[in-house]
Amino acid sequence: MSGALAVYQKELLTYFRSPIAYYVVAVYLLGAGYFFLYNIFLAGETAMAGTFQNMGILLITLAPLISMRLFAAEYSAGTAELLLTLPLAPWQIVLGKYLGAVSILLLIAAGTVVNLVPLYLFGTPETLTIVSGYIGFILLGMACLALGELFSVVTHNQIVAALITAAVLLAFWFVGHLQTFQASDALRSLFGYLSFALHFADFIQGLLRTDNVMFFLVVSAIALTLTAGALQWRR
Amino acid sequence: MTSGASSIVLESVSKRYGSRQILHELSFTVDRGEIVGFLGPNGAGKTTTMRIIAGFTAATSGRVSVGGYDMATQNVEAARLIGYVPERPPLYDTLDVRSYLRFVARAKGIRRAAMGAELERVSGACRLEAVFRQEIYKLSKGFRQRLGLAQALLGSPAVLLLDEPTAGLDPGQIHETREVIRAFGEDHAVLLSTHLLAEATLICRRVAIINHGRLLAIDSPTGLQRAMEQTNRVTLQVVAPPQALRAELLSLDGVAALNIQASPDGGPMLTVDVQVTSSNGVEAAIARSVAARWSLHRLERHQPTLESVFLRYVKDTERA
Repeated sequence: MSGALAVYQKELLTYFRSPIAYYVVAVYLLGAGYFFLYNIFLAGETAMAGTFQNMGILLITLAPLISMRLFAAEYSAGTAELLLTLPLAPWQIVLGKYLGAVSILLLIAAGTVVNLVPLYLFGTPETLTIVSGYIGFILLGMACLALGELFSVVTHNQIVAALITAAVLLAFWFVGHLQTFQASDALRSLFGYLSFALHFADFIQGLLRTDNVMFFLVVSAIALTLTAGALQWRR
Repeated sequence: MTSGASSIVLESVSKRYGSRQILHELSFTVDRGEIVGFLGPNGAGKTTTMRIIAGFTAATSGRVSVGGYDMATQNVEAARLIGYVPERPPLYDTLDVRSYLRFVARAKGIRRAAMGAELERVSGACRLEAVFRQEIYKLSKGFRQRLGLAQALLGSPAVLLLDEPTAGLDPGQIHETREVIRAFGEDHAVLLSTHLLAEATLICRRVAIINHGRLLAIDSPTGLQRAMEQTNRVTLQVVAPPQALRAELLSLDGVAALNIQASPDGGPMLTVDVQVTSSNGVEAAIARSVAARWSLHRLERHQPTLESVFLRYVKDTERA
């Protein structure tokens, strides 16, 4: 575990000594702030559901910018030659990097909490629904980053990694819409089951269901396992 | 860990990328306490071999072991014994020198209590004290190269793999780096890849010569020196009677053989290719002797090239 911790600490240092983390966090917080103001003050919503929905889509588009550098940057800078020859197992490298990216996600989530201050000052929001929304948001982000890490290991080019990740995440987000066009029950269930948006929707309505939690955790675990396998395979 | 006399063992190692065969059945060993030079021109397969030994890439066939650990199945255990300096120093530009070394030390499992002393040791050995708190992107090429070496020395690995460690350094830095390697090589196994003949002969106990992915020879620096001497040449352009010129040149110390060619246009100018030993002053002796009796128009000393040494080796091998 100490090897994964070493990689994690290095990741955090490299994130915050390059502009990309500041850029992603700033853009995300600006976007989330705008959606909050729009939904609560302009559209007159009294719950956070609409804001969480917008935050989810914004996360899908910005998560690739966090994950794109995880391995692609190591390969293009030549540091992969150090990282992969240190006495570290592939899972330690993958986990350390993943935890670094998840830390940025947690920072983003923490930054959006500021939006809740006026909500509590001027109203009586349902705290449990908000907590459930945040849990869903973090689980959704964890799945997005795990998939992003997987696509970052297959290319040396960060832009290519980001584009592939964005395409796949958008597909997972919108795949639920295909349910409408299916006559087959099996396909309808499958598309519904694969949809990030539908699983996330339960969280933002305050439904903290085990199957939804497990869905995002299993997607993350599969992506991370494939990443470790791909790393070994590249040798 | 299995017992084994040699720290690095390569047995019939081949590497193929698609249809391109990069390495052909490479076999050699490096023992503890010796520095082995890995000599070859660019594209010979040196870096690929280094990467295979370091565990960055796997061999297509054959077996590599480091400290008794098989790189195919026990590469994490073997990596604990290896310090590796790739051709391009693997540095994180956004980190400072101290953070970078701390990361590598942690990844190598160096304990927190011993961290300070270890960082001090390697930064002292590689003369990095002056830039210890500086961001890596601000470092000069020399410092970057030395930082690459410093990370490899962390944890005192039993085996050091150095891929062109002096490339891009100034003469002073080259001397210092060679001294660090020489000191390290006294009780560790060092494999030093280079395309510089002088580097290989200066600090290595044995030299493995590779070309087009094949091992041509493993020899002592003395053997290499002999091959180099046989490839030292001096070319003359002189107007003189051929027989007398031949006799005069062969009578000089340091002249091994010569070949006289007449001018293609039928003129009196002769072009003479003289094979000399590398002893200093031989071209001056030739110039004095020839100019005293005949009209010397041009004299040029050709330094031995890696290619010419290879050719000599190939010829010697065939002759043997």
